[in-house]
Amino acid sequence: MRPWSLLLVLLVALPLVAGVATLPPHDAPDAPIHTQVGALYLERGVAETGMKNLVTAVLLNYRGFDTFIEVVVIFTALAAVLALPKGSAPLPKGNAPLPKGSAPVPKGNAPLPQPDAARSQGVGGARSREEEAPEVASDVPVSPVVRFVVRLLAPFIAMFAVAMLFRGHITPGGGFQAAAVFAAVFIALGLVLGQDRAARLVPVDWRPWLQGVAPLAFALVAWIGWRLTGAFLGYPIDDHTVQEAMGFVLEIAIAVGGGVVLARIFLEMET
Amino acid sequence: MQPFGLDLDYVAVVALFCVGLYMLVAKSNLLKKLLGLNVMETSVFAFIVTAGMVEGGDPPIMVAGTSAPYASPIPHAMVLTGIVVAVSVTAVALALIVQIHAHFGTIEIDELKELP
Amino acid sequence: MTGPWAEALPWAIVLPLVGAALTPAVAVRHPRVSGFWAWGVLLVTAVLTAGLVSELVARGPFSYGLGGWAASYGIELRFDHFSAWVLPLVVLFVVIVPFSWRYLDHVMPDERRPPFYALLLLNAGGMIGFCVTGDLFNLFVFTEVVSLSSYALVAVGGRGLAAFAALKYLFIGAVSSLLMLFATAQLFVLSGSLNMADVSLRLGEIGGGTAVMVAFAAYAVSFMVKAAMFPVHVWLPDAHAIAPSPVSAVLSGMVVKVGIVGMLRIYQIYFGAEVLELGAFNLALVWLGAISIVMGAFFAIFQDDIKLMLAYSTISNIGYIVLGLGLASPYAVIGAAVHVFNHALIKATLFLAAGSIIHQTGFRTLSDLRGVARTMPQTSAAMAIGAVSIVGLPPTAGFVCKWYIALGAFEANQAPFGFALVFGALFIFIYYIRMLNAFYFQPPVHASVAQASETPWSMRGPVVLLASLCLILGVLGGIPLTFVEPAVLDLLPFWGQ
Repeated sequence: MRPWSLLLVLLVALPLVAGVATLPPHDAPDAPIHTQVGALYLERGVAETGMKNLVTAVLLNYRGFDTFIEVVVIFTALAAVLALPKGSAPLPKGNAPLPKGSAPVPKGNAPLPQPDAARSQGVGGARSREEEAPEVASDVPVSPVVRFVVRLLAPFIAMFAVAMLFRGHITPGGGFQAAAVFAAVFIALGLVLGQDRAARLVPVDWRPWLQGVAPLAFALVAWIGWRLTGAFLGYPIDDHTVQEAMGFVLEIAIAVGGGVVLARIFLEMET
Repeated sequence: MQPFGLDLDYVAVVALFCVGLYMLVAKSNLLKKLLGLNVMETSVFAFIVTAGMVEGGDPPIMVAGTSAPYASPIPHAMVLTGIVVAVSVTAVALALIVQIHAHFGTIEIDELKELP
Repeated sequence: MTGPWAEALPWAIVLPLVGAALTPAVAVRHPRVSGFWAWGVLLVTAVLTAGLVSELVARGPFSYGLGGWAASYGIELRFDHFSAWVLPLVVLFVVIVPFSWRYLDHVMPDERRPPFYALLLLNAGGMIGFCVTGDLFNLFVFTEVVSLSSYALVAVGGRGLAAFAALKYLFIGAVSSLLMLFATAQLFVLSGSLNMADVSLRLGEIGGGTAVMVAFAAYAVSFMVKAAMFPVHVWLPDAHAIAPSPVSAVLSGMVVKVGIVGMLRIYQIYFGAEVLELGAFNLALVWLGAISIVMGAFFAIFQDDIKLMLAYSTISNIGYIVLGLGLASPYAVIGAAVHVFNHALIKATLFLAAGSIIHQTGFRTLSDLRGVARTMPQTSAAMAIGAVSIVGLPPTAGFVCKWYIALGAFEANQAPFGFALVFGALFIFIYYIRMLNAFYFQPPVHASVAQASETPWSMRGPVVLLASLCLILGVLGGIPLTFVEPAVLDLLPFWGQ
């Protein structure tokens, strides 16, 4: 197994090295990457998009459609996780359509891997498979120190996310970064407080809408741009107020939608 | 530094790619395979960002305190998109690994092969 | 802007994607509504794509600059002859979705239907975008929408083995997507642009070079994995066999074609730039195609599980398409282009018919399904039509394209490959004879087969419709040809003929 893997890696490495060896030097100012479209963006970006952070300008304006599809990809991940069967209970009406041998393994019948200490810490090992509903961390009480610190810091971390969200047009940051931090706060709270209390942060009725809010907001802004400029996802080039408003709608939707999706994926995997 | 005409930054990226590929191919543990995939993804992102940098460049944010030359903004946007895609793939892979673990009680390929 | 339908181009992509985002909200009280919702969204999408194709026929290829930016400045959508594939694609989705309404009863509980249909819509929207986009990075992002939804769709139907097959698919698919991103990044570094036409132009200025070749190789390997060609097909049989049957129809019929369409896009870029000596690559395609044909057919013979057999037959049929493209003679390329559609149609017929039989009897191997034609005559007839069609016998859709590819082989003075093609068909024929023999001429061995009833109409309708289309397109085989022929003759210069 190992020698073959090494051989495969070598087979892949040689052409890749040959490929990168003949690329133009990477930090020269006259490389094509700095002289073509990129140079035009640097030259005209601020005037055309009204955004000082040109990464945000590329993300939301010049290549806004990429970002649209990108939030669709996150939503796809959520739909994927939601569509998978839950737990290890048998199918509702028998499992006839499965091929032979895919029936659930009878418990205790299969050769058990030896749960040595390292593995059961590392990947969960074989410990939880005996339990009907594996309750994560139920046997390890959360340390009061950790609980206190997480609860103390959570609002500040959330504030940081909000700051990243609203200063994304002039500093590094923006919707996706804020979404990641929001989700991290949520997951940390979920770990110390329990899933149920964390899940209560998002009202049940709102969830189906919030999950898809990023693609929906993009579609809405694309439609508004279409009405205003005649081009899908177009921004009125000389009206910076409208441009800014459209950008903010997208950033907020990305932050909220992305955060909710990431948090929901976490919750689905836990239960 | 470019010994033998090789751009060492790019070579490092390819090396990282190969480390990830080796993990993905040779490791038996599904989680380690997934980590290998993530290493590969990171290497490609590093490649794109490296390519977008320019000698003595500032971040492409046009505020007081930065000046030309600026790094190209397109690679950053590409990598941001790429990271989100990678996170999504990782999430789906983890969900599948959780399923496999719940069903077979192991995530080692060697042990999965021995199951009936 | 050319005509009124050109305006609809971005909406045809976005509609299924937004429809997917809305699915959980629409179906929040009644999960089963999601199936009708998805169907409605796909119907509207089909109307839009039909409009796009009418525009293409009336005025030729057209572009759409997203955000109002010029083509190479922002992201360009381009609807050309390859993109016309989205119309049959969406129509097949429209036929397959009603089948899944009742079929899902034994696959999943109701509450998991909304995410399932969301995934189907995402898959459809992703493929439309993939065929339509004119931007390399956008192509990568759409690939990920298609791939990610496909991984998940494989695993929705079962636990354990299904998840394992999906994970295998995911690992291999993710590496192929990464190679694609790597190649895209390399072309970007070389040319400074991501727009396909622009990259092609600049590659022409640069001329060749190792990096250009390596990027091409990375693309080629990546799309070969997506199309499940011979050395990198290992993910396909398990994944396509274990998925629920409507999903198998989508994956086998359409998702693997993403690899073919992607390959054609890269052809366009490179041969437009005239930086590639294509002879060697075409020869490689021909060989890999021929090996795929024979090997897929060979393995199919030994399968007892009907869906596993159909999955192997997909590898074989992708081999036909790739062989046709590699031969690069007009007949072969026309045949391959028509086969992209015909194979999707035939494979959908076969998988849906097989799914009906599995749904009604609970069995999926030939030995268990003996005598099923007595109790399910219509579905079995559809299966038989599909079988005859995929072997490539005259009165059916499969004949036309295989005949053209074989003609093309002789036209290109590659007679051995013409024989490989016939040989592969023979292998497949053996298998289907076995299947039809078991279905029609042997007594049932299981009570549930002997007492099976025909499927409800929501399932039988699509199967009967698809099977009759196989026959109609066989008799009127000239109709798709009249559409494809001018397009292919236009594009042939890219092959250097």
